[in-house]
Formats: sequence, structure tokens, C-alpha cells
Amino acid sequence: MTKIINSNEELIDIDDEAQNANQQIGYAWEEEYKRSWDVLQEDEDGGLKHTVEHLQSRKRKRLERDTSIIKRGIIRHMFLIIDLSEAMLEKDLRPSRLDLTLSYAEQFILEFFDQNPISQLGVIVSKSGVAEKLMGLTGNPMDNINVLKKKNIDTDGEPSLQNALEMARSSLIHVPAHGSREILIIMGSLTSCDPGDINETIDNLVSENIRVSIVGLAAEVQICKLMCKKTKGTYGVVLNEAHFKDLLFEIIPPPPVSIVKSKSELVVMGFPRGVNESMPSLCACHSKPVSGGYICARCNSKICDLPTDCPICELTLVSSPHLARSYHHLFPVANFEEVPWSSAFTTHCYSCQMPFQTQPQVVKGRSNNVTSIDSSGRYNCPKCKKHFCIECDTFIHEVIHNCPGCLSTSENST
Amino acid sequence: MSVLKDTATVNEEDANLLVLIIDTNPIVWRKSNFSLKEALRHILVFINAHLALKHDNDVAIIASHVGVSKFLYPIPMTHENSDKTIFPNMYQKFRVIDEKVIANMSALFEDVDTPNNYPDKASSMMAGALSMALCYINRITKADEIGHVKSRILIISVSPDSPYQYISIMNCIFSAQKLCIPIDVCKVYGSDTPVFLQQASHITGGKYLKLEMPQGLLQFLMIAFLPDRYNKKYLCLPGEERVDFGAACFCHKKIIDVGYVCSVCLSIFCRPLDECSTCRTRLTLTSVRQNGRVI
Repeated sequence: MTKIINSNEELIDIDDEAQNANQQIGYAWEEEYKRSWDVLQEDEDGGLKHTVEHLQSRKRKRLERDTSIIKRGIIRHMFLIIDLSEAMLEKDLRPSRLDLTLSYAEQFILEFFDQNPISQLGVIVSKSGVAEKLMGLTGNPMDNINVLKKKNIDTDGEPSLQNALEMARSSLIHVPAHGSREILIIMGSLTSCDPGDINETIDNLVSENIRVSIVGLAAEVQICKLMCKKTKGTYGVVLNEAHFKDLLFEIIPPPPVSIVKSKSELVVMGFPRGVNESMPSLCACHSKPVSGGYICARCNSKICDLPTDCPICELTLVSSPHLARSYHHLFPVANFEEVPWSSAFTTHCYSCQMPFQTQPQVVKGRSNNVTSIDSSGRYNCPKCKKHFCIECDTFIHEVIHNCPGCLSTSENST
Repeated sequence: MSVLKDTATVNEEDANLLVLIIDTNPIVWRKSNFSLKEALRHILVFINAHLALKHDNDVAIIASHVGVSKFLYPIPMTHENSDKTIFPNMYQKFRVIDEKVIANMSALFEDVDTPNNYPDKASSMMAGALSMALCYINRITKADEIGHVKSRILIISVSPDSPYQYISIMNCIFSAQKLCIPIDVCKVYGSDTPVFLQQASHITGGKYLKLEMPQGLLQFLMIAFLPDRYNKKYLCLPGEERVDFGAACFCHKKIIDVGYVCSVCLSIFCRPLDECSTCRTRLTLTSVRQNGRVI
């Protein structure tokens, strides 16, 4: 076994400084102690309303997303690789790297299946130089969450990046070409204990079209950065707890696919009918007696829950709402634009009826509170030109994926 | 399909926000033997009953009209024009809401140009109304920090589904499911099966009820839709249980059991095609391989 410790330190340093200069936020382990009250500053009336609003609108900036209509890999196959080395016991992220990773992983899995209902996910962990597959590719979020329960997880030794990647690769190699193949690694360690040359593994990943994304918990590692770059994945190092979640959840929307590489295929799918029986009968998936369930359209075996692959004939079984759940990735809502004070003539938010602020009278010689008046709190849809408040704006883009203005006026509906 | 069975913790003391969406398509109401005016009278009694049940109960009313959907209540006051005379025989809040709803409804009907210029006169802007309802609920829920307000949506529907609204209505349904908001549907008129709204109530754990006798609207509203989310757990309410999510192919609108799905845009076809008719992608059939294993 050879240890890989990175020698290209110049590259890393340059990047680190650039990142810090851009974001003005240090890593969690660089901070001494937090004084959250320093952020708050009272306005003339002693209120905090403006500060809070300012913080909210700053938070919104990072939510701007890519809304161009592109082909996306809706049917995804992903392995989540979690580092269980001793480095995960560090407490620089609270309560500890491991606890936070497990709780975020659970949220990630739920949200992943919520947004990608016909996708599959598996879990691999790596500790003391070996990789272990906890769960193969499955369409059921609960299976994945159950194996990540705290009582089954313990940490030991160093992780093996190469072993974990090879294990994921050998499982993803059989995935049909219409689905995207992805690996997401949560890595706390700065070192890896590998049996061979990891560069060969990376080249294999590239040739098999597997996208690797890594979320690092400690510091940037050159080999990880190189791997993500070559496989067209993303690489991020967490700054603090909230940033960790952001980095993870950025992986959830389906990635764009390059048309040249992935083949477009027609997939045979079954749409099973639901049944309600008075007497329970055994289901084909768990061999448990259940009354009610779904009947596979091809082989007539009974299964408990959708979506799944039929355990007997391996037909993909979905219901039409599952397909509909993915449509919003294909037709995203355009990003709203901030409305300047000059055209802020509306009195209330179009969708939630909340009254807007009126333009404050600028008093000459007192321009100390510029931050609170530079935004009108109105955001307009580029298509229907209706004005929305920030609350609705984020809600529309994150949850509903519909513009209420466009849908309730006649001009844009046809 | 995991179906939500109102798992959110609902307490007896919680305030209830009812968001009522009234389908006001005048053309369809005209066809039924029950006028919108009559129905509105019933609905106002129902709203008052809802408000009377608990002091902090609240209501929002949205009209889903032809070509436009609009809030009828609450509307932020632009200028104080309502008279402050108080009728001693009527609870003030009842009167305010009744007057507002009637005034805004007649204002909606005075504008005849919007519906006239809208091509699809048979349907109403249900997707827009649902989106607005969800935004409103989101704002109220966020403002209420202690989680005291529990919301639900009731749709009084007459017009058939518009196929153009399928994706947006489904988006609304999934958001409602995520926020644990049940969508109840009361179908007053309409012979065809409104599949979208049936799915809405099924997925979000609400009730779907089709009225045999529209004249008895008030009674159905009072019996089936007045109980709040806490009480519903203890009641056995009428409603259709069986919902078939049968998928229809995009090419012939035929209900199919096994279909071919384009991996790019998820369109469903009943037979293999060389090119997807929705997204124009060249397609190859993958039936020879299943789960990666070559047969």
C-alpha cells in the first residue's frame, strides 16, 4: 500500500486565498469564537427590521440558478461515498463531522428522491483502508437512510479513495446508458490509503462517463480537485455547517447532460394498477402479508410501493405522478429581477398580498442607512412583469416551480 | 406511491386557515342548473360558519376565473373607503368578509374583456389560483413562528381540466404535499372526470367529493368540508377512495399498462418511436437490456 500525500501545495494555496478573498468568510476551523450579535445593528428607531431584510436579500443572491432549458439527466444512478476515517471525529463542525454528515446525508437522501423520483442511490463507506457497500442501488429512500443510522456506523483508520471509487465504478458499470452515473463523496480526511495508482482509476471513471463530485470537510486536496475536474463534477470545501448543506444540496437538481455522450433511449416502463384486497397476501418485494399494493403490469406479481423495479421481471414500475414530479426540472421558472425604486409602483405582492414598503423619503445629509433603502423588496417575473416579495420569490423557485403571475393572466398561458 | 395521511401534528387548539378557491367560470356555471349567485350565498354561509367555529380561524378566498385568477379576500386596503357603520345584529367580521367578497366578485364579472380574449373558455385558471394559495399559505405559515396556524385548501370546482395546466397543477400538488397541506375538492358540476383535482386530493390526503345534487351545496360543505384537520382524524367523511393513476400515452391518449418513456423528456408512448415527438431527440430502444444485464 502506498500513501498519497499531495505535493502540489503551491496550487492549493493560491486557490484558498482566492476563495477567501471572494467570500470574506473563513473556514470554520479558522474562527476563534462567534459573536453573532455583532452582525445586528439597530436603525434609528432601534429596530432590527432593516438588518434582517438585508440579510435575507443577501441570502437570496446565491439562490439564483441556471434556468436555461437544457437536457438534463432525469434518470440518475448515484453512489454516495462517506468517509468513516478517524478524521471524521474532529469537532470543527458541530456537533462533530460525523454526526453532521450523517444527519445531512439523511436529509440529502430524502430530498434527492423527492426531486429525482425515478433515480437510484446506493451508499458506500470507507474506513481502515477498505471500502464497504452498505446498500446497493435502490429506489427506496428508507433503505438508504436505515443503513446510515448512528448505531451501525463507527470510524476507524484512514479512508481508501481508490477502493471506494472502484467499488462504485463496478456497480455503476451495468447501469443502462440512458441514466446518468454519478458518485458523490463526503470526505473528511486529507489523506487516502490506496492499493494502486489512483490516476488509472480516474481515467477509467472518465472513459465510463461517471461524474464524481466531492464535498471536502477539511481543506482542498489536489487529487480530489483533479478528479472532479476530469470527470466534470463539482468540488467544494465546506466553510461552516450551513455551507456544507448548501454544497450537498447543490448536487440534488439533475445535472445537464451532453448530448454527444449520453445516448437517448426509450425506456420500457410499467404503470401498475393499485389494488385493495380484503385478505392480505404476500408481496414479492418483502415477502410480507399486505392487503393492497400494486400489480406488476407484465408478470402480475404484487409489490408494496412505487417507484421500484419489479423483483420478478425487473420491469421499471412507476406511476404517472412520479414522472410529473420531474417535469419542473425540464421547464424551470425564470429568475426574477430586482425592481428598482423608480418603477416600484405596486402596493402589495401579487401572490401573497403582503403590502410592500413605500419608498423612504431620503433626508439630505443623513445617508448612513443606505443598505436598507437600496432594494425595494420587489422582484418581478421577466415574463408577466408582476411584482413579488422576497418570500414568494424564494418559495416560487424552490418549492412550487410555477410563476403565479404567468399562470393567472391570459397573455402567457397559451 | 407514498400518500400523505396528514401526518403533521395538529392540535385541537390550533387556528385554521381555510383557503377557498372558487371556480367562477361563468360559461360552465350557466350550463348547470344551479347559479353561481345561489352558490355564493351558500359559500358565504359556510365561510361564516368556519369563522364562527374558533376565534382565530381565518379565511382567504381566491377566484379562478376564465383567463385570470384573483384574490377576493383579503385584499390590502389601498385607501379607506369602507363605511364604519356597525350593524348591531351582525358580527362585524362576517359583514366585512361578505361585503368584500360580493364586491370583488362583481368587479371580476364586470371585466368581460379578459375572458373574451382568452382562447380556452371551457376551463379556469386553476393552476394560477393554486399557486397563489400556496404562496399565501407559505407567507402566513412563515409569519406564524409557533406553528399555531394550520392551513388547508378547498376547491369548489365546476369546469373541466385544461391539459395545458397539467404540469403546473402537478407542481402545485407536490408543493402542497411537501408542506403538508391537504387539498379538498368539491365538484359541484361537470360530468367528465377531473383527473388532476382527483389526484390533488388523493396525493395530499384531502377529500374529493362530487355532488349529485348541487342544490344541497351548503349541506355538503357543512358536513364534509367544515371539520378542521384535527377533527377530520376522528370522522368518517364521504369521499371517493379509489383513484387510478393510469398513465395515458402522449400519442393516442390511450390508457396503457406498459409504455415507452423518452429518457430525456419523460414523454410516454404506447409503441416504440425513432424520434421523440415532444423533444425531437433520436431514440434507440433499450428493451434488450434490463438493469444492465444483457439477455
